[in-house]
Amino acid sequence: MKRLLITTALGLSLGVAGAAMADVRLGVLVPDSGPAGLFGPSARQAAQLAAEDINTAGGINGEPVELIFADVGLPPAQAVQSVQRLWRAEGVQGFVGMHDSAVRAAIVGQLRGQVPYVYTAVYEGGECAPGTYVTGETPAQQLAPVIPWLAEHEGATNWYLIGNDYNWPRDTNAAAQEIIAASGGSVVGEEYVPLGSSDFDASLGRIRASGADAVLVTLVGGDSVGFNVAYAAFGLDAQALRLGTLIEENTLAGIGAANANRLFASMGFFASIDSDTARAYTDRLTAQFGADAAQPNGMGQSVYDGLMLMAALGNAAGSLDSDAVAAVADGASFSSPRGMATLDGNHVAQTIYLADGSSGAFEVVTSFDAVPSGVTCD
Amino acid sequence: MGSIVGVNLALLAALLLVPVLGGAFFAWQIGLFLIYGIAAQGVGFAWGRGGFLPLGNALFFGLGAYSAAAVLRVTDGALLVNLLAMLITALACGALAFGLAVLLFRGRIGSGPGFSLVTLALVLIAGQIAETTPALTGGFNGLSGYAPLAGLDPFGAFYYVIVALVMLVSCGFLLIDRLPAGLILRGLVAQEGRLELLGFALHRVKGWAFAVSAFVTSLAGALYASHQGIVTPQAIGFALSAELVIWAAVGGRMSPLGPLLGAVVIGWASATLRDTVAWWEVAVAAVFLLVILFLPGGAMDLVNRALHRLGLGPRPKALPPLAAPASRASTATGALELSDVGLSAGTVTILDGLSLRAAPQGVLCVIGPNGAGKTTMLNAITGRMPTQKGVVSLGGRRLTGRAPHQMLAQGIARKMQVPTVFAGLTVAQNLQLAMLAGRLNWRDALRPAPLRWQGDTLAALLDDPDVPLAAAWLKSAEHLPQGHRQLLELALTLAPDPRLVLLDEPAAGMSPAETQIMVRLIRAYQQRSGAAVLIIEHDMALVEALASEVAVLHQGRVLAQGTLAVIRADPQVTAVYAGGHK
Amino acid sequence: MDTLVLFTLNATWQIAALALMALGLALVFGLLRIMNMAHGEFVMLGAYAPVLAAQLGLPALAAVPICLMMVGLTAWLVERLVVRHLYARMFDSLLATWALSILMRKGAELVFGRQFRNVASPLDGVTQIGAIGYPSYRLAVIALVLAGGLGLWLWYRRSATGLRLKAMVDNPALAQAVGINTARLSAMAFVSGCLMAGLAGMLLAPTLSISPGMGLDALIRSFFALIVGGLGSLEGLALGASVIGGLQSGLSAAFTQTAGYLGVLSLAILFLWRYPDGLYRRR
Repeated sequence: MKRLLITTALGLSLGVAGAAMADVRLGVLVPDSGPAGLFGPSARQAAQLAAEDINTAGGINGEPVELIFADVGLPPAQAVQSVQRLWRAEGVQGFVGMHDSAVRAAIVGQLRGQVPYVYTAVYEGGECAPGTYVTGETPAQQLAPVIPWLAEHEGATNWYLIGNDYNWPRDTNAAAQEIIAASGGSVVGEEYVPLGSSDFDASLGRIRASGADAVLVTLVGGDSVGFNVAYAAFGLDAQALRLGTLIEENTLAGIGAANANRLFASMGFFASIDSDTARAYTDRLTAQFGADAAQPNGMGQSVYDGLMLMAALGNAAGSLDSDAVAAVADGASFSSPRGMATLDGNHVAQTIYLADGSSGAFEVVTSFDAVPSGVTCD
Repeated sequence: MGSIVGVNLALLAALLLVPVLGGAFFAWQIGLFLIYGIAAQGVGFAWGRGGFLPLGNALFFGLGAYSAAAVLRVTDGALLVNLLAMLITALACGALAFGLAVLLFRGRIGSGPGFSLVTLALVLIAGQIAETTPALTGGFNGLSGYAPLAGLDPFGAFYYVIVALVMLVSCGFLLIDRLPAGLILRGLVAQEGRLELLGFALHRVKGWAFAVSAFVTSLAGALYASHQGIVTPQAIGFALSAELVIWAAVGGRMSPLGPLLGAVVIGWASATLRDTVAWWEVAVAAVFLLVILFLPGGAMDLVNRALHRLGLGPRPKALPPLAAPASRASTATGALELSDVGLSAGTVTILDGLSLRAAPQGVLCVIGPNGAGKTTMLNAITGRMPTQKGVVSLGGRRLTGRAPHQMLAQGIARKMQVPTVFAGLTVAQNLQLAMLAGRLNWRDALRPAPLRWQGDTLAALLDDPDVPLAAAWLKSAEHLPQGHRQLLELALTLAPDPRLVLLDEPAAGMSPAETQIMVRLIRAYQQRSGAAVLIIEHDMALVEALASEVAVLHQGRVLAQGTLAVIRADPQVTAVYAGGHK
Repeated sequence: MDTLVLFTLNATWQIAALALMALGLALVFGLLRIMNMAHGEFVMLGAYAPVLAAQLGLPALAAVPICLMMVGLTAWLVERLVVRHLYARMFDSLLATWALSILMRKGAELVFGRQFRNVASPLDGVTQIGAIGYPSYRLAVIALVLAGGLGLWLWYRRSATGLRLKAMVDNPALAQAVGINTARLSAMAFVSGCLMAGLAGMLLAPTLSISPGMGLDALIRSFFALIVGGLGSLEGLALGASVIGGLQSGLSAAFTQTAGYLGVLSLAILFLWRYPDGLYRRR
């Protein structure tokens, strides 16, 4: 039995090694399963559009790119199996990944800077490993311009912070504390609920009692949907506006128009961004994938940005060799449906949009250009 | 399945060939699934050998992994310190599991899903704590940035560390299977009740099984920390616990190597096929379902059957018997005394101030109409049902309040109304277990010699031309005809040389000829050992042939006690029997 | 005062929702001694009924027949193909229904997609109780659960089917001997239990986040309510839901949600260990 396994494994790896290696192979790590699995289809489609655009523009150093996908919506130990397989057996020269932070930490530990790796998901900030480049929005980016704007235009000054109990919400709220204080507001409550919660009654009671006029929601996925549905059922939408930093189009659809009054979201991309490039992007999705086109959203679309950055880095460095890329990385820039973005250190300064979901669909209210990531590595 | 040596050499060769034939990356991949496989072996041991299903074994895996990561970080991977720390953590996990199992199984929880749900709740708690105490565990993002064990490359030499643990654990499990400890565990799964009557404390036996399971799983977790370079809450979560169970089930929980096979094959196939084969997860779930429905022994069952057909099955060698040490049951002396014993279940009073004395020697037959409380009386004597009042004592030593498993050490053995033998085991294994009863101490459990123990009582029984057990030596006990099963149970009851033998309708379901044999065997044992025998019986022919004294039970009390002639003359007894039979 | 009213209402809601969700599981365990690990997936299927009704442009009430058909058919198939072979095999039925739960979840992902769905509440707005505005739909569900639970209790005590069911639970062999078709009764009991789960999902849909993975939470919470209450009786279920729902509400209100969650888990362990029959023991 075991010998049979080994021979098939050998066959597989030899077969792969024998395949043409002329193209530049890029590994695209997306969640097809697990809690983030709903972003899988939109992420894959974004990657395919990016590959087309890169190849139309001459590929990376004249070589067309070929994408190899892997599911990383898994526990880190299983996710890095796929990463290693792509790297060692399929000759992938660079990775673009959209997944959770635990998987990122595991991948960074495996790659150890030997291959360029672009991480594209919204995250808590602080990733400074060599060879790792980040396009995902950081708390500083999502909050620094937005909180003062909401104070000025919506009168939001007394903030209640609620999030799931893990690193990203805690780090986001730590950043929020400083920004709220700096903008003259105050934090009237802060609490965390376990991942997978479905009962928010006690929290809603506390929000009501706190007299908050704004709630920063860093709950994820189903928890966020459940919270927002109950929030509106209690009529709290009249008392306080909500701002979410991970409420994208799918989450909003789950919340429903009836429950979304005064629900704001802050991200680098919304399907309804009013610009030529953004409209062209969504039109191309429908044209290309027809009925299978996944709802465009910031999480999925971020993979497009990641690939664009990878191409920009490869072209600037003349190859995807990790040292060559590192030498030219700072200041590299690329354009995407989000607008222009520039690498500053290993994070990007990018445009941030604030959208209002009251109607059940996001309408972009305002945008902020070239917002710095707030992450400094030394 | 050849000999232990053969199996292990084949396993070792296969594992050593992995990096040679598949390369460093393949060995690294297989390494992870071997680590999972060791943990699955732990689950398989608890489930297949202990008879209870732990749904939360990732608790021990995670404890092993987190503490290994913490120590690796502090000590920069120094070899000896870390090996020691791994061992200490594993021992602590074993102790935790032992305590947990003893505590739970001593209560009324049984081996049913109750235990599984407790372990499930525990792993949910552990996962929650791991996720929300970043100071200790790094939170959701995990603990990383530490050196691997002895600085070994996970893609190189570390593979051989994993192989070493696989070999140690597999050898260990294969060995246990051939030692008294393994036989006791098989007995546990086959027939808990009989094992308890043979004087084994079930909660402690299960405690040891769970401790071994946790010990092994924790060691696997420790290697995981070095192999992955990061430990996240998934290593201590419910999802991993669930996967361990699936691997153990599909690979085969009854076989020491089955779960290893399951983890490596399913794990590796998942990693390889997940991105290319659509519906892969559905396929795995479907296979799991089919195994549960149609192949309870898992894949190893198929392997073993194939080996059997090729003539490679196990060939038990008959080794000469060894003289067994004296049984602890044989030293007790004195009369059995019940005074004013009361027992009720719910609102129904079953024993109503029952008082009875059985002489230290001879045969006391207890008769009485259905529902008189005869079997309940035995349950009250052996601690199987709690009494509400009164005292049971043997030779002046109080039995009331003692647990059923303590009765054999008091000299008491019992044969049940429905023959209770180790159904899944062979006749030989049944009798081996009976020879261990009352004689084994904990060190004996781990050496092979006690399996060859033979005593005079058992030898006399087996030599009897009317006892057909020797001819059915390698037959499974469940395939014996009813009468033979009664004889086997009698042998199990008498082998520990008890001083007080409780027999509940020993001739039920027997032909008159078989009843004759039974009578002869009981009398022979009584005369040879000078023990007391208490028999519950309806068959008056048997009573006449055996009884030195008769007691009549009616409505939870003793109506009359004396010689058969005295009883026959008692007008009260005749009234009960005339009115009692409708 | 307001805080107390709000807390009481919240606790009542938690208890009612939990009892509703756990009812089907209690039925299947109580009558068949099967731990239906796919219970949560039947709740999930039921929750998709109003989603489908809305998608097809049908009135809200059309969700009821859709739910009954979709859940009933699935449950019937599951009983025929899997569960039927596993009566009286407790571990095997637990593991088999668990495998089923994975299959049903994946199936739902393929059929319905992975995205979250929303069901508009048929009863919008809040009802004022003193100074507290409480969601009207929740109040309606609480009333429905109370009325339904009472009705079911009376029916089970009085009706002939209830009697036959009780006979089957107490002694299946004897029940069969006196001419009760236990195979059919078992199938009926299983399908009914699943239908209860589906209806619970349908009723709670406007208050939940609906996605293929929503079943696990429903299952675990139902399990713990049953463990504390005592497996397999209506009275026990009501009691268990009250203790679990009340404890979770209380700890969450007084401390944090995490405390509520850990408290429920610890209580479940305590009960499994010390009182495996739960609070309410059937005679």
